[in-house]
Formats: sequence, structure tokens, C-alpha cells
Amino acid sequence: MLSELLQGIESGGFLIIRDSCSYSGRDLLKSFITAALNREEVIHILCFDVSEEELKDGLKPSDTKRLHIHNAYSDPLGWTGHPNFTVQQFSLEDLTNLVKQTSQPKPAVLVIDSLSWILRHKTPPAVCQTLQQLRKGGAVRAVIGLLHTDMHQRGTVGSICHLATSLISVAPGVKGKEAVARVTKRSKSGKVMQDEEIFCITEDFSVTILSKPSHAEHKTNSTEEEQADPTANLTFNLRLSDSELEAKQKLTLPFVFSKEKKTALLHPGPGSGRILYEPDANDDYDQEDPDDDLD
Amino acid sequence: MFSELNSILNISPDSFTRGEFILVSDRQSDASFLIHHFLSFYLRARCKVCFLGLVQSFCHYSAVSQRLGVSLTQAKEKGQLVFFEGLKECLSVLTPKENNVESEAMNFLRDPTVGLRSLYEFVRSSVIGSGSLEEGAEQWGPSVLLVDDLSVLLSLGVDVGAVLDFSHYCRALVCSQMQGNMVMLVRCNGEEDDDDDGDVVSEVLLKGLTHQCNLSLHVQGLPTGYCKDIHGQMEVCWKTRQGDTPHLQKNLFQYKVYDKGASFFARGTSSAVL
Repeated sequence: MLSELLQGIESGGFLIIRDSCSYSGRDLLKSFITAALNREEVIHILCFDVSEEELKDGLKPSDTKRLHIHNAYSDPLGWTGHPNFTVQQFSLEDLTNLVKQTSQPKPAVLVIDSLSWILRHKTPPAVCQTLQQLRKGGAVRAVIGLLHTDMHQRGTVGSICHLATSLISVAPGVKGKEAVARVTKRSKSGKVMQDEEIFCITEDFSVTILSKPSHAEHKTNSTEEEQADPTANLTFNLRLSDSELEAKQKLTLPFVFSKEKKTALLHPGPGSGRILYEPDANDDYDQEDPDDDLD
Repeated sequence: MFSELNSILNISPDSFTRGEFILVSDRQSDASFLIHHFLSFYLRARCKVCFLGLVQSFCHYSAVSQRLGVSLTQAKEKGQLVFFEGLKECLSVLTPKENNVESEAMNFLRDPTVGLRSLYEFVRSSVIGSGSLEEGAEQWGPSVLLVDDLSVLLSLGVDVGAVLDFSHYCRALVCSQMQGNMVMLVRCNGEEDDDDDGDVVSEVLLKGLTHQCNLSLHVQGLPTGYCKDIHGQMEVCWKTRQGDTPHLQKNLFQYKVYDKGASFFARGTSSAVL
């Protein structure tokens, strides 16, 4: 499903890449940008988190004619007095003007790096409203956003992700360069499809899907580990010879209640002690009738 | 300057990566020895250092740096070091006297909602420096910003968002624009998985800064408890792309702090054990 998403997002679609501290989703975001550039689409990027150079690093220079990066990294709050793009400009009118400025015939794809920055300065309802208006508006064909899930409360993350038509959550994989992606896709008919894939990103930002992370794989690994012999490679001997094994199995443990012991206890043989009991009047003490004079 | 740490990070006063944001963090431990290391390292590398010392006095840093072989007083006189003594400056805000010029940088003490813009303006003025160079003034290397530490700003009532904005702007100025380096210390008190309201704010700050940084040094106590010979463990996490492939590399070391330095070694190879 990850490769389907890379091949194209449907019109009016909203894709969110969710990452965390342990694995950055920016490389996957760059893969989406590269794939869209290869499809001859026009892309506008709102760059808050990292500098323009860092974002362009690795993208092929020939495609940058259709790539418009709006630098919101150097002054997003207007502290220097002449900002390029501030976070307050994240609204329907300003963004529509920004996209229309480049006067391209086709509606563009808007990439936001990252939504977390905007969520820190604008309330979640305002951000959700703007995103929804952008999707329906028509100036922008599709929206792709990067969200750092560990920087917000679960409710905020949930609200934003509820708007999305596709969600990709990335996490580090078992081996070095691999990562695990959990993809959720909501189609217009209301059907929700989920999938989990292991992928790795190459130098030119193309994504290689490696395999499905089967839980069976994990199980075979653990049984292999269990079969590793702990008695090997020791300086002392922990193994048993055949005669020692036999003697061990014959041994009855002292407090185990085996069949022989049970019969011995239930049927005492001759010579074992016998208990003779004659009820004594003093033994018949009734707590409710201590003087034994009630009826 | 700890030579073992230099070899771990693959840097030396003559050659280090520029434009890097190094995040030093600790959890229920004290990572300030790393701040002293970076201070002496960058002074030795002849960089122009701007140091925001918010938690200790100048004499404290000066005394420790003396043991590491660097004189802060001399560096300040030569103009290599701009030292912002937070403790003294906040007194001038809280108890203003007539002939005392109130420093604008700490005006968030009066009103925490104002944010850290004035502190950023102070950093900007000291990093960019005066326009004209005096005759005979020495040429220093790339600018470096050191902050010790950011969590105390949270205790003073500043909002997490404001601190993250401050570090974002400092990074945009020092790392991207001036191609210098930045080292910031963040401290956390609670356990990582705690969901209490107690320390959520510093966790959010730590996570936000971890997303922004290039290199993260996380100091913690040993998970097995107190040990006389090993003072703790340090996790080094590189985020830079090595050889054009996106790569996240983590390494765990144990350390012991001495009088005049610290030694770092792989797990289980402490001199007390071997």
C-alpha cells in the first residue's frame, strides 16, 4: 500500500506522515516529493522545521523548476521584521494567494514540514479548519503533512489524523537502515484498509519495500534461540551420561505424592501405629451450651 | 576538554562539523560536565563563544575551566567569549537601582508570557557582533552558542512553546545562517514513561529539541544502580546523513568523571572491572 500511495494521491487527498524521536519521517516525505516531481507535478513546500538547504539536500536539481519552497524557517514569528512566511499566514486566503502566485496551470500539491510547528502556534480547531478548506478549495490538489506525534497530546494528534485520507506511521525497524510503516487508507466509500510494511530509503529517495513484517518470523527467531545449547563452551561439565540420566529418572523426590506413597498411607501395613480413640465426655464441648443443660 | 569524548565524536579543535546543533540532556543525573567540555573545546578551537550561563556564577565556570586548562577571564578580555551571567542579570531586573541599566534580555522574569525574544536579540547581537573590527582585534573562528541550561527557563515560568521557539531561532541564526555550532543542555527529572502531570513539560521540551538537533548526548545513571567506579551511561545519537544515506546511529558508553577530566568506555570495559 505504501507504493500505491507513492504513485499518486487522489485529488482532495490529505496524507499525514507520523514520526517520532526515534525515527524521522522527513526522508519518507522527501521520497513522496521526489515521486511527485517525477510525475511532473507542481509542488509547494511550507518549510518550518528545517532550512531550505537541508530540505533540498538530495533532491535532483533538474526538477526544482516545479518545486517551490516557501522559507518559513528563518523567521516564522516575524521577530526580524521582514519575514518571508510567518505561521500566522497559515490560512486559506494567504495560502491560496501563495500557491496562485506561481501561475501554473495545474493545481499544486502542498507539502507541510511540519504540521507540529503550526500546531504549536495555532489552535487545533483552526488548523483543522484551514486544512479542510484547503482540500475542498481547489487551489491545492492534495496536501501532504509531517506530524511529530510525541510533541502533542494524543487528542490533538487524533483530531488532525481524523481529517486525513491516508496515514503513515513510521517507526525504526529491527536492522539498521530499515523502518516499519503502518499505513491506513480511507477511501471515499468509507472503507478503511490497514497494512504494515518494512521499507528502506535509498540515496536517491526512492523507497524499497522489503517485506511484510510477519510475526511468524519473530517466532522462528525465538525458537532458534531456544535451541542454542547453554551447556556448550563451559569450563565445567553440565551434561549427563546415560547411566547418570537413568539414575536421575529413577529417583523419587521426597515430597512428591506418588502412587506408592498414597497406597502406603491409605492402607497401613502391620506394625505401623494404630490409633484407638474412645470419646471422652470433656471432648464434647458445645460452645452454645457450655453447661450441657439445654435441650 | 576530554580527549576520549573527542575521539568518540570524531572531532578535534582543528576540525569539527560546522552548523551542528548538539543537544546534551540528562535524566535524573548531571550532564553539566559535558557543558564544561564543550566550553573548553570551542575556546581551544579559537571560536567566538557566546555562553548563556543561567544556573551558575561566572566564578564557577571559570574555576572548572581553569582545571581543564582554559582561562575564561582571559577569553572574555580578548573578546573571544561573551558571557551572560543569568544569576546577576536577573537581580538587576528584580531589584532595579537608579544607576543600574536594566538588561532587556531577562525581561521575561517580569512577564513570562512575553517569551524569549529579548534573550534571542541578545544572542543575535553577540553572535553577529559589532560591524566594524577594531585595529588589532583578533579574527576568531565560527560562532558558537552554549546554553546552560534550558530547563531552568521552564522553572521560571516560560512556556514550553516559547523555549522551543527560542531554540529554533537560535538554530536558524547560529547553525544555518552563521554556520556555527550550538550546544544546549536540557534536564529531566522524571522517568520516561511517567504519565503524571509532574514532568510532562520538560519531556515535551526534550522531545521537541531532539527533533531539531543533529547530535544528541543523553546522560543517565546506570540502570543497575549506584556504582563507585562508573558514574553513569551516555547515549550518543547521530542524526546526520553519512555517505548520503539517511542514517540514525546510536552508541552507548559508560563514563567516570575525574578531577580534571572524564573517561568514556564501552559497556563493561571499565578499568575497575577489567
